[in-house]
Amino acid sequence: MYEFEQIAAALYLAAGVGALLGLVLPAPRMLAGARWGLALGAVFQAAAFATLHRLEPAPGLTDLAQAVSVTAWLGVLFGLALFSRIRLPGFVPVLGFAAFLAAFGATLSDPGEAIVGEGNGSIPHAHVLLASAGLAALGLAGLAGLFFLLEHRSLKRRRSVARRIQLPSLEALDRVNRVALALGFSLLTFGVVTGVLWNEARSGRVLAGGLHETWTVVAWLIYLGLVVLRFVGHQGARHAAASALAGFAFLVFAVVGIGIVS
Amino acid sequence: MKVVVFGMNHRTAPVEIRERFAVSETGTVLRKLVDRPEIAEAVLLSTCNRVELVVTTKSPDAVQHVLVDFFARELAGDALPTRASLREMTYLRQGREAVEHVFRVASSVDSMVVGEPQILGQVKDAYREAAEAGTCGAILSRLFQRAFATAKRVKNETGIAERPVSVARVAVLLAKQIFETLDSKSALLIGAGDMIEAALVALDDHGLGSRRVVNRTAAHAEALARRFGGTAHGLDELDLLLPETDVVLACVGGSGPILTRERVERSLWRREGRPLFLIDIGVPRNIDPGVHEIDSAFLYDLDDLQEVADSNEEERRREVRRAEQIIVEEREHFEGWLVALQAVPTIRDLSRRAEGIRRGEVDRFAGRLALDDPRRELLEQMTRSIVNKLLHAPISRLRDETDREAGLIRLEEARVLFGLDELPSAKDELASEPAMGDEEPESSS
Repeated sequence: MYEFEQIAAALYLAAGVGALLGLVLPAPRMLAGARWGLALGAVFQAAAFATLHRLEPAPGLTDLAQAVSVTAWLGVLFGLALFSRIRLPGFVPVLGFAAFLAAFGATLSDPGEAIVGEGNGSIPHAHVLLASAGLAALGLAGLAGLFFLLEHRSLKRRRSVARRIQLPSLEALDRVNRVALALGFSLLTFGVVTGVLWNEARSGRVLAGGLHETWTVVAWLIYLGLVVLRFVGHQGARHAAASALAGFAFLVFAVVGIGIVS
Repeated sequence: MKVVVFGMNHRTAPVEIRERFAVSETGTVLRKLVDRPEIAEAVLLSTCNRVELVVTTKSPDAVQHVLVDFFARELAGDALPTRASLREMTYLRQGREAVEHVFRVASSVDSMVVGEPQILGQVKDAYREAAEAGTCGAILSRLFQRAFATAKRVKNETGIAERPVSVARVAVLLAKQIFETLDSKSALLIGAGDMIEAALVALDDHGLGSRRVVNRTAAHAEALARRFGGTAHGLDELDLLLPETDVVLACVGGSGPILTRERVERSLWRREGRPLFLIDIGVPRNIDPGVHEIDSAFLYDLDDLQEVADSNEEERRREVRRAEQIIVEEREHFEGWLVALQAVPTIRDLSRRAEGIRRGEVDRFAGRLALDDPRRELLEQMTRSIVNKLLHAPISRLRDETDREAGLIRLEEARVLFGLDELPSAKDELASEPAMGDEEPESSS
């Protein structure tokens, strides 16, 4: 139900604002509270997904706004899993605000606008879920990459200690980048495979030649190259961070942007 | 009762004067001080940057002379300065200013290095010693408890203690911005002098996985390695050790850099890009400045660390404004409590005075009118009722306005208007009129 999604959006917004204040003031308790806000928001968003089919008309999972909302939800879940192992204070406000925009956007969207048409069976749902999960994990890799570049730059400029907001350590950010890239690429691969299977079921062809398919496959090939460079080619941490950020920007354009532009 | 602070600190007196007044055994000194009739309670804070007496007194006008005299006689010892020079090097704060001063000191706003954490522990020790000596009563106990709470608020609500201001701590913070944890990291110490030891102590506080000491003189390296549970190596092993190292601390004599850019680049290749943090505290520098241009190498020399420390100190000073607001809020709370506390004896004295007058008049008229017991009881009831009704308004005002700033002034006015300070104390009355001791005046408060 949209009520649940709106509650989730409100909780995400509160978590984002709380985390930002917690970082700026700084107030560690506020930051810890923001993490709980994110977790509670994820619970309400899960309830919203579980009750979406009761809406009239029910939005499909392949609806763009709902897919973005699912991606944000999975991003929050991945983020919470990471927070339990690694200290990543700067991630909470970004995740909070991103999840707020996604959840709130889903409540305003027109259920008729689907990114791809519906098909038979569970393959479309598996495709959307896997691709969304891949996008969420690669988004976290990109975010870690962005923070890494900022932290690296300030350390090189020797201004890091004078900064008001402390970012996570370079080592932690590199670890997040590595884990999220491996996880995200695996999920994206499954997403692409299920997309191919869906295409084949609908049109009897592996690639339908649509913009979405073509650009996503190109994005997957780019990520394949990044994974090879990172895990086989011993790419340096700064280059890996920049690659993760650029790769995610391209992926977002390939999956979402191209549909909007065309 | 007024709070008074008298003392000297790093701003008013040089260290060679301050050290003459330093006290190690405060209990005896404090007991001597509270033996003086002008002083009710006392706490003595003696640190390397300040010697201060915090006292409560009923005669604030006379207290300066007493405290100057006490400082000169009891604290200065043999090296007695002249009273005039002592007055120049000391300060006296009373009432509101004194309360704020104590809060400022405990919160480290008044420290030489703003935000340094040691002062709160020293203030707590001073309070504990005074409590043990029995010289700390209700007012100073409350004052110091509020001072500790204020210090906690200042620490939590401002960034005053957030940024490190010592070179060693800046190095630790930088290491934490590069590495998730220092537990599993290995340090390579190039040199075995005092500077290396001091930096190692700071890093060691946050845990280090392993320590290897490299030095030209093997004996020095072995001595330092033994002290910190590490291993000693010769300078010729540097290339072997570098790829296994996460933190390099260098401070060794010599004309040119020991770690060149090429040498570090070679080792980083074998480290697979893992970051390397290098701290060069040697003069002349031991590490080629070009090393900092390598992607995963972060080189900070003594000037860099000092610059960061200085900018952090400046940042702390900017936080002082926020700390001052908290101090004013807490001072207002304390003043409210103090006024409320001081209202109780005034209200009691007022009731006692009124009751004395009433009883005297009843006795006088009952005898003159030759009243029997029931009629006397009626007279008692009537006069008691008049007194209570008359006193109700002033007592209510004194009680209800105790939380206002004007409360203290009003209490003073009440004491003067009703001549309450001319009353003999309850103790004196008991001593002089033992037969009437069992007839306590009724309190309408």
